[in-house]
Formats: sequence, C-alpha cells, structure tokens
Amino acid sequence: MKNYGPIDDFTVIELYPDVQVNRDNAEYYRGLAERKLLINHCADCGTWIYPHRPICPECWSWNVKAEEVSGLGSVFMWTTLMQQRSPSAPHEPVPVAAVDFAEQKGLRYLSRIVNCAPENIYHDMPVRLTWIEIGNLEWPAFEPIPGARNPN
Amino acid sequence: MARNPLKDQLAVVGIGSTPYGRDLQRSHLSLGLEAAIAAIRDAGIGKNEIDGICGSGMTPLAQGGSGFLSLQGALGIDEITWGKNSWLGSCFVYAAEAVFSGLSDMCLVVQTYVRDPGMSRSAHADPFRRNLTKFGDIGGDIGGSDFAKRWVHSVEPYAGWMRRYMHDYGVNKDAFAYLAVNSRSHGARNPAAVMQQPITLDDYHASRQIWEPMQMLDMDVPVDCAEAFVITTAERAADMPNKPVLVHAMSLGGTRVGEFYENSLPWDKNAFWVALNGLWARSELKLADIDLFFPYDGYTIDGVGVTEAAGYCGPGECGLFFKDNWDAARQVLRLNGKTEVMTHGGGLGMGRAGGANYFSEAVRQMRGTVGARQIRQVPEAALIAIGSFFHDPCAVVLRT
Repeated sequence: MKNYGPIDDFTVIELYPDVQVNRDNAEYYRGLAERKLLINHCADCGTWIYPHRPICPECWSWNVKAEEVSGLGSVFMWTTLMQQRSPSAPHEPVPVAAVDFAEQKGLRYLSRIVNCAPENIYHDMPVRLTWIEIGNLEWPAFEPIPGARNPN
Repeated sequence: MARNPLKDQLAVVGIGSTPYGRDLQRSHLSLGLEAAIAAIRDAGIGKNEIDGICGSGMTPLAQGGSGFLSLQGALGIDEITWGKNSWLGSCFVYAAEAVFSGLSDMCLVVQTYVRDPGMSRSAHADPFRRNLTKFGDIGGDIGGSDFAKRWVHSVEPYAGWMRRYMHDYGVNKDAFAYLAVNSRSHGARNPAAVMQQPITLDDYHASRQIWEPMQMLDMDVPVDCAEAFVITTAERAADMPNKPVLVHAMSLGGTRVGEFYENSLPWDKNAFWVALNGLWARSELKLADIDLFFPYDGYTIDGVGVTEAAGYCGPGECGLFFKDNWDAARQVLRLNGKTEVMTHGGGLGMGRAGGANYFSEAVRQMRGTVGARQIRQVPEAALIAIGSFFHDPCAVVLRT
C-alpha cells in the first residue's frame, strides 16, 4: 500500500498527470492519493454532490466540503467492455458499473467491478469499496458484499 | 403550447452529399468542401451569397478539420456575419436559428465524418487516422487514468442503458433488432449506402458483442463522408430553383445530468423526451401527420428512445410496437400503415454521419427526387430526432 504522506497541491497534480486536476476537484484527488474516496457534501442542506462542483445544486450553498463516503452501494447499470478504445491493444473484458451510493438516492459513481465474474453481476447488486493498484497508484473499485444478495 | 414564431419561416434550399466509403483516404476538410460545393450548386446560388457557416466539431479554432474558419477560407467566401461549429442535429438547429434571427440570410451547414482509428484494426493501422485523434476536438479532459471519468461524454453508458432498459421493462432485444434490419433493408436499396447487403433478425442476434449487451449491429457504420445544407428564409426560397422544404418546428433538449453520464435519469426522463416534448409543444403538425421518421441510430438504443419519446408507443413498448408495424415482405418498418423509417438506410446502413444524412434524405424524398427509392406518395412531413440521452438532442419537423 502506498503512503505518500501529506499531499500538497504540486504533488497531487504530479500524481495524476493525465487528469485535469483543478481547484474544484483537487480534494477528491488528494483523497484518492490517501486511499480515501471523498465526495462533496453540502454543509448547509446535507446534499451529496457529484461530480466535484463548487456549489450545491439544491440550495446553491458554497459551503461544500469533500467528505469520505461509506463505500457501500449497489449496481445501477453496467457493461462489459469487450474491446478497448485502441482496438490493437491487448485486453481482458472489463466490467464497468455505475454504482449508486448508499448515502443518497441517485448519488452515482463509475468504477470497475472486481472479484466478481462479469456474468455474476446483476442490477441492484450490493457492492462495497475496495482498492486496486494500476500504474503505481491505488484506485477505487467495487466488489460484491459476501452473503448479501438483493431480493431483486 | 410554447411559442413557435419560426413556424414555416425557414427553408432548406440546397443539399450536397459526398460518396460514402470505408476508406476514402481524404481529410475532413476535403470531404466537407465537396459537400459544401454540391449544396451551394444545388441551391443555385453564388458562393458569396453565403453569409453564415456552421462547420463541424465543437471547437471554433479547430485546425485541419472542417470548422467554419477553414471552410470559409478554403471556399473563398468573402464575408460572413455568422459562424459557429456544431455537430449531430444541433448543427441544423443552430443554423436555422441564425437565419431566423437575421444574423445570416443564407446559411451553409457542413458536417464531416471520418472513420475513427478506434473503430477497427484496419482504421487503427492508418497513420493519418491515428494522427487525427491526437488533434481531436472534444475539448478538455475525459479522464485519462481516472476510471471514474470514463463516462464523461462517453458512448459506453448506452450499452449499460440497453441492459437496464430490458431489465426495467422486462423485454428482449426485439426493438433493437427490428431497427437494425429496417435500416439495412433500406440501405440495400440505396446505391449510396456503404452496407449493400441486407441482414436478417438472426444475423442481428449473432453479431459480435462489443460492449455487452451491445453488439456490432447495434452500432452505426463508421465511414468517411460529408453532408451539407443551405438554409434560408421561406421568402427567399420561394424564388429559388428547388421545391422548398420548410422548417415547421424545432426543439433542443437538456437535463440536469451534466457531463458525467453515470448520473442518468430514469429512461423516460432523458434528454430525448425533453427535446420531443419541446417539439410537440411547438409543432402544429402532430405525429399522425408524419410521413417520414428518422430516429437517431448512432446506437439502436437511441432509435428506440426516440421512437418512444416521439410518442409512437409508451416506454418499454417499442419492441411490441415494431413487431406490430413490421412489413415482413419488404423487411422494413411501416408505422401505423403510413410512416416509413430511415428510408436511406440511416447510420446503420448508409453510414455514420451523425444524423446529417437524415436531413438530406428527408429533403430529397420531399422533393420527390430519389428515383426508385421514392416512397409511394411524395412525403409532406418528416420528423427527425438526433443526438443523445445526455447532450444536445434535437427534434425537427420538416414540411413542404
């Protein structure tokens, strides 16, 4: 597991050179570097806000703070990518899912599904956050919760 | 009803199309210029009568592409008073807006498509195609290593939506299959179409999985091509050589989803419904008046969404509706005994033009100039809806 220590602004931009890290999303990427999944939360009305916006879309408060989420959720929809964007690149099928977070209806995050064969994924499947290493960095992914099965 | 002051005030007076091919070995600009010249000649005007240009793409300063700056320079059009780039169906709406507002009186729209290197191994092997993507004009950052940004302006969520649609409504893939076969049947009758071989429903189901459950035959055919139109006022059109095709009503559509498409709304709240509801709130012609229907077929799931959003059937009912409106002898859709669908083959049969070829086909059919492909009675009204669940869908009713 990586431990980068305190992550200053220069470091967070260096860690994610191909991502447009800016003042609105820097806390999210700083969180990832510290192995924490942070989502913006309105301190006034309690709405979770994703992606990383500087205001709350419900009450227009600017009092928005990146906070760690529970990592619990369910699969809203998914597809298995059988072909990468560069067709010549070698690839394994990649399951990609939009995960509904438990914190709020419709608070949804795109991620990989791991520790689960693609054919075993189903709509509304309960999942939890885990971390996987890609390119020397740790990234969020989601895995089935053992023993949990949605009645649907 | 919403306001519709532009009703029948604008007209398409010129159309131009390049040949369609899998590998024409030409640039965006080269294709765009050929279509533009054809459309200007078709309109019977001189080039300096053009005073507005809507080019291709989303960035005004795009170089090497067919943006309005490059088109104006290359065509040698001395002065314009309106210029913009756009894509999909919104390009048509923007140009019509410009003429209605008076910023342009004779507006040229040019849309170019080149087979992307991500589409196939052979396309990827072409150094010019690979080079093109380095200078792509999508704008900004679509994720890089951050997988969570993968669906920022992505096409993959349409595959997720196919499965979610089947799950939520308890249906199979019939709706997608009928749409795919319809387009290929029409394409086989259109000499300009890239796909000349019709397919069967079984062929559809047997096609290769790309983004499960989306298959090869759910996806429009990447080609090299360009389309161009000239739009002016109905008043000027009355004195021009071609039978004018009038813009009766238009709408765009947007939702609060934003640019991260995993934040989708429920199926029947997506942007196609917003655009079609906006159209019917403005159009005096109704669905029963429509002779020609062009539901966007970038993916079959788009066409199914447009068909339902247009009101042909309820959400989730498209498979049954298509089955009930299937002309088995011709292997095409004929809706409510009247409306023909995608008569040129659309993106799935003729080739991918971001829907721009729907406008040229509608105009040719309404002029009555497509020869053997002419539908039995020259159509008087066409419904065209193009775009995305997520961004700038357009809905347009054309009439004569």
